[in-house]
Amino acid sequence: MTTAASAPSRAEVLSLFRSLLRVARQFSDYNIREYTKRRTIDSFRQNRDLADPSTISSAFSDGKSQLEVARRQAVVYSLYAPRVKSVMEIEHR
Amino acid sequence: MTTKLFASKLRQTCNRGLISHLRTLSVAATATAPTPSPLPLQEQQYEDAGEITMKGVKISGRPLYLDMQATSPVDPRVLDAMLPFYLSRYGNPHSRTHLYGWESDIAVEKARAQVAALINASPKEIVFTSGATESNNISVKGVMHFYKDKKRHVITTQTEHKCVLDSCRHLQQEGFNVTYLPVGSDGILDLDHLRSAIRPDTGLVSVMAVNNEIGVIQPVEEIGKICKEMNIPFHTDAAQALGKIPIDVEKMDVSLMSLSGHKIYGPKGVGALYIRRRPRIRVEPQMNGGGQERGIRSGTVPTPLVVGMGAACELAMKEMKYDEKRITALQERLLNGIRAKLDGVAVNGSMERRYAGNLNISFAYVEGESLLMGLKEVAVSSGSACTSASLEPSYVLRALGVDEDMAHTSIRFGIGRFTTETEIDRAIELTVQQVEKLREMSPLYEMVKEGIDLKSIQWAQH
Repeated sequence: MTTAASAPSRAEVLSLFRSLLRVARQFSDYNIREYTKRRTIDSFRQNRDLADPSTISSAFSDGKSQLEVARRQAVVYSLYAPRVKSVMEIEHR
Repeated sequence: MTTKLFASKLRQTCNRGLISHLRTLSVAATATAPTPSPLPLQEQQYEDAGEITMKGVKISGRPLYLDMQATSPVDPRVLDAMLPFYLSRYGNPHSRTHLYGWESDIAVEKARAQVAALINASPKEIVFTSGATESNNISVKGVMHFYKDKKRHVITTQTEHKCVLDSCRHLQQEGFNVTYLPVGSDGILDLDHLRSAIRPDTGLVSVMAVNNEIGVIQPVEEIGKICKEMNIPFHTDAAQALGKIPIDVEKMDVSLMSLSGHKIYGPKGVGALYIRRRPRIRVEPQMNGGGQERGIRSGTVPTPLVVGMGAACELAMKEMKYDEKRITALQERLLNGIRAKLDGVAVNGSMERRYAGNLNISFAYVEGESLLMGLKEVAVSSGSACTSASLEPSYVLRALGVDEDMAHTSIRFGIGRFTTETEIDRAIELTVQQVEKLREMSPLYEMVKEGIDLKSIQWAQH
């Protein structure tokens, strides 16, 4: 296993967080978009208090691979987006 | 505000970034304006900008999906794992002579291990099939046909899935005896009934773990203990339970377990069957051929589907706690929201032993079909997808002892990983609106409001 000997810096973690949220916004599907946003915020919140550097680096690299998955899937979902949006995205009187 | 401006600028640069990223892919030009596939004329379905018309119903957007027991959307992480096997790694896993076969085989074995890990089994005990229906068929018919000389009796419940009941009926036609155990009004099987039904020639007990219509969780561990004592194979249909409640084949003492891919955010068309090796249970294969999957299920193993199921199982293991907490909270929100505005709401099935994502409610003094027709913007179902072609009320609700009129009016709300609070709130609003509208039109409801007991009425014969 490739072990990042040094734990990621605060700036790197924040940058990962922001990238994930940015990718979430690119999903054309309402449910996937909301889920990605929510899951990112909840996982980062859950892992906020990790102390052990190897756990922190493995969580960080897991986050990075999830970011790659999300980037690819955002493209795939936009290629096949249905022409009509979900009722949740349409203005509700 | 400046933050809004900043956010919109950010979105613009992202979109530009996305579009330039698309251009680097060779199919970019056609991708930005997707051409609609030709729609079959008979369907009379058109998607204009802003509305869909299908089967005479016009809706402004795609309905919000609350039917997770029928099927679930494929998780993007699962799709990501599957795509390479449709694109470049398309080999047959049984080809032994080249890279394509080897890499597919490695992927299939990895998926097998992922599925096995979720239920605490060994990968050698997992057989991939085309779905839980096929797994149920193999379990019920395969086991009984193998042991047909000594064992002629099967025990199952009245609330099983149609495929199990139909397989049992097929066995009955072949001369086997089947006992359909009744369930209580909360949907839970009475263990004493089970004990008294066991005979010396009982070859199989089949009870599903989580019911697809009402969501009740059967006491699988206790049933497994009884079956182990009496040395009878125990089969459970865990299609709805997999990835939602913790499953351990050792704790549950199951000999056979049917699993389904598309209920846990995986692809449709794949499932698995867990077959215990110690003590060994033998089945007669229902699909004959080249001897794949240890001779139990011949046929090329569909690598992308199987990889998808494996990825879905691994995800389910990681996300089970998080999803369960969320879904329980959403279920409470839904039930409380509806109960706050309506009376005459009955939940079908036990509230205590229930999977949170399945809420089956009956609304009194309302007709079920018209309620469903009115809820066009919410995708829900009444009864199960398998039996919705017929007009008779669901046999599961009948087995619970629910009155005919309440059984007709039952709606099943399925909450899943991707359901949001806003969707629940909108579903509550739409349901309450529809039920109130129908009740206002209902003369029966007027009579009830005046205090007349409906059961005491003598309807005049003409």
